Amino acid sequence: MVGRFIAKRVFLAIFQLFGITIAVFFGIRALPADPVARLVGINASPEAVQQARESLGLHETKLQQLFNYLGVWSTSGKPGIFQGDLGVSWVTNSRVWDECIRFLPVTLEFITYALIIAFIIAVPLGMSSATKPGGAADRFTFVWGLFAGSQPEFWWGLMFVFFFFFQLNQWDLPHAPAPLGRLTPLTTEPPPITGFILVDSLLRWDFKVLFEAAHHLMLPTFTLVFVVSGAITKMVRQNMVRVVQSDYILYARSAGLSRRKVALYALRASMAPAMTLTAIIYGFLLGGAVPVELIYSLGGIGQYSIRSILQFDYPAIQATVLVIAMVSLIIYLVIDILHAVIDPRITF
Amino acid sequence: MVAQPKQAAPAPTSEYVLEAKNITVRFPIEHGADVVAVRNFNLQVKPGEFVGLMGQPSCGKSTAAMAMLGLVRPPGVIDSGVVNFMGRNLLTMMEDDVRELRGRDIGMIVQNPRYSLHPMLRVGDQIANVYRAHNQVTKGEAWKHAIDMLRMVGINDPERRVKAYAHELSSGMAQRVLIAIALSSRPRLLIADEPTSGLDVTIQAQFLDQMWDACRQTKSAVLLVSQNLGIMANYCDRILIMNEGTLVEEADVYSFFKAPKHEYSRSILRLQRAAIESGGADAAHIDEKAAPLIEVKDLSKLFPIRHSKSKVHAAENINFFIRPGETLGLVGESGSGKTTVGRCVLRLIEPTGGEILFRNRQANQVERVTDYSTNEMRRKRAKLQIVFQDPLDSLDPRWTVDRVLREPLDLHTDMTNEQKKARVIELMKLVGLEGAHYYALPREMSAGRQQRVSIARAIALNPDFIVLDEPTSALTPETTAEIIRLLMDLSAKLGIAYLFISHDLTTVKFICHRVAVMYLGQMVEIGSKDQVFNSPRHPYARALLSAYLFPSTDNRRVDRTVRETLKGEIPSPVTENLPKGCYLYGRCTSQVDRCKSAPQQLTQLSDGRWVRCWRVAQGEI
Repeated sequence: MVGRFIAKRVFLAIFQLFGITIAVFFGIRALPADPVARLVGINASPEAVQQARESLGLHETKLQQLFNYLGVWSTSGKPGIFQGDLGVSWVTNSRVWDECIRFLPVTLEFITYALIIAFIIAVPLGMSSATKPGGAADRFTFVWGLFAGSQPEFWWGLMFVFFFFFQLNQWDLPHAPAPLGRLTPLTTEPPPITGFILVDSLLRWDFKVLFEAAHHLMLPTFTLVFVVSGAITKMVRQNMVRVVQSDYILYARSAGLSRRKVALYALRASMAPAMTLTAIIYGFLLGGAVPVELIYSLGGIGQYSIRSILQFDYPAIQATVLVIAMVSLIIYLVIDILHAVIDPRITF
Repeated sequence: MVAQPKQAAPAPTSEYVLEAKNITVRFPIEHGADVVAVRNFNLQVKPGEFVGLMGQPSCGKSTAAMAMLGLVRPPGVIDSGVVNFMGRNLLTMMEDDVRELRGRDIGMIVQNPRYSLHPMLRVGDQIANVYRAHNQVTKGEAWKHAIDMLRMVGINDPERRVKAYAHELSSGMAQRVLIAIALSSRPRLLIADEPTSGLDVTIQAQFLDQMWDACRQTKSAVLLVSQNLGIMANYCDRILIMNEGTLVEEADVYSFFKAPKHEYSRSILRLQRAAIESGGADAAHIDEKAAPLIEVKDLSKLFPIRHSKSKVHAAENINFFIRPGETLGLVGESGSGKTTVGRCVLRLIEPTGGEILFRNRQANQVERVTDYSTNEMRRKRAKLQIVFQDPLDSLDPRWTVDRVLREPLDLHTDMTNEQKKARVIELMKLVGLEGAHYYALPREMSAGRQQRVSIARAIALNPDFIVLDEPTSALTPETTAEIIRLLMDLSAKLGIAYLFISHDLTTVKFICHRVAVMYLGQMVEIGSKDQVFNSPRHPYARALLSAYLFPSTDNRRVDRTVRETLKGEIPSPVTENLPKGCYLYGRCTSQVDRCKSAPQQLTQLSDGRWVRCWRVAQGEI
């Protein structure tokens, strides 16, 4: 059952990704931009321009360009997507796949931690504010949601850096590291296994790097937690309020179940929507955590995609869109499976 | 506080199991006046007694019942009062001690059984969790107990059902799961809040019988909360009537139904009393020899199911006629196809087969409704009308009464503006609406008035025939009585014939001249009202009439030595589900082997009625 469901979804995902590929391909070529001029400079000779155009393959018809990109009926002699090659960046001349693999885990790592922590904070907080409306937890959630959620994450990032790094440093207190990447410039990264620096250093028993990396990830992670957990808490709260007033909770109480059991009944029923929201935020943050990446100089996939767009680096843009879409689809698939596991009403 | 051993029952210090005094429940409303749902509520229940608590929807009866457990739906609070259970006040006890009483000594069944079970947990786990909360047993023992309880409440195949989730159960079965939970620790008191709302008549009887038997077995007292007079009359020993949060009357069941004291009690019993006094509709003004106004021959309607070859058999080989001015009742449980037949007769949905004849009295000729062109059908709708179940839903929320009633006149007549206005006022007077409602919008009127507007719209063009599709099921008992009265007056005054579709046999008995009983899309018996109600012949009709709880204390169901019921539940009317022979095969108490394979025909008996059962036709049963 589950196997067939996953197979179906993966099958569908291939079509979705193919559709995205084509849409993005023609989309960026429809923009009024001239990547060649950007590459060779304004003063280049017409021959140089023509040569650059040909070396990028832009002299072909758009359809032929697509075929070259896909790797069918290709005239360029180079492999395409169907051969598993996403192409070479026009700016850095390295393979975009390698670059994506380098930048993606950075983003994945800190947004994954952030959302896990946010979820862990949000569930009990949402539950207690739902069971006692107007109580301390409820008021705290309200104020927090209003305060933290209403201001942009780069602003909070800046404030965090100011306070936890600069100000604490000034007072000679233990403080956060400078917002200059995942490690101090002198430490070398462990050779990647998963690309997640905490996981890798742990796998290699390198505790010095582990602590340093955790120290550096602390602020960006908590910036995101600070901003998104308000929304998740509110979602949990809202569902809990509905569930607590539901007939089956009232019935569970009237049947004399213990408080703990009733709370578990309620939690079970109110989890699913919060999980879905978390997944949606995750998908959004894949490309949308750029401000946080920038402030802490993390060099994640969001930053990479912005750079590619500004430099009209078509293969890189296409690759980042595809990679982000792929990760989002996987996340949604996982959430749907989890959803079905906790809710028997959902069938594959 | 000294911890008590789990099974020890508190010593009885009072002659009552439950005694509530002066309970007041209040719901705080933000930025507004609080709502007091229950005011100074008093109640006593003796061991083994069946007490009924009755009242209109949202009169506070459910809230009062909940308060007997010390519970209120958030954000309500119990303001004052005492709930003595076995001599101890629940409202001042420690929360944990009350919790132990709930589910062990006081069981609870609520309405919406499917919503009262957790949607994501197996019902077995839910029964076991409650059992384990009150008894020191292992998980395995509790699970076994859950299976035993399911068997006791009459669920077949309990080993399989125990693993089911709420959404996989029919509401009848979910209701039984609740009673299994409620009775699992043999409570001294069972509180049942509308335990049968949403159940069909025969299932309701099955269920209440089981509850009654189970409680007699466990010697539990019962507080039964309902707005159904029939349940009260047939199962309760004593009745309390509640209106707008306050108790207005308390009496034993016999004296209540004989002579209710309070004005409000009298108003809800009015229809019954009228039926007793006048005997309901009489057939005097109907010419027995008159040619039928409407004649339906071999009507059938099959609904295709998407992505499937099988079909829903909503109606099959339906035959009946209605004389001018006559009312034919069409009864049956939900899913029996009554509504489909009503809509097919007016071609609101196109029948799959058969023909419908209509005697056009103006042209004095018989016309084939099934042959009308679309345009012709539209013109004929002036004479063939319908009134629907939900009065608010069938009126445009933005149209005033004036506009609603003017519309048919605009479409079908060439009256002048003044004539139309006069006609609208005349119509409003006919259905008993005051002139003040001329510009009223639907939501500004009560449900009863809304239904009057629907009726006025239906009679606007002097129709010969109206289909009344459950016209009173959305109304309160007192409004029902008024609307039924109105419909009978209109029929007598204007000579309109009705096809009266309802599952409420009390109103059918009152308004109809003849009655047809449907089961699974077929008519199983059709005859005069007295024939069908006093001596039904078809086994299904007999079970239906026997299971129907008439609001009267003569011949109470619990006093009968033989309670006729059907086994199991109604199969869904899909091609492959339908039995080959008699559709009742498998549920019938008089079945023999031949019934399994022999399809049944509607046969006329010597007394004039028609029955679809070969054993009845041959005089065997």
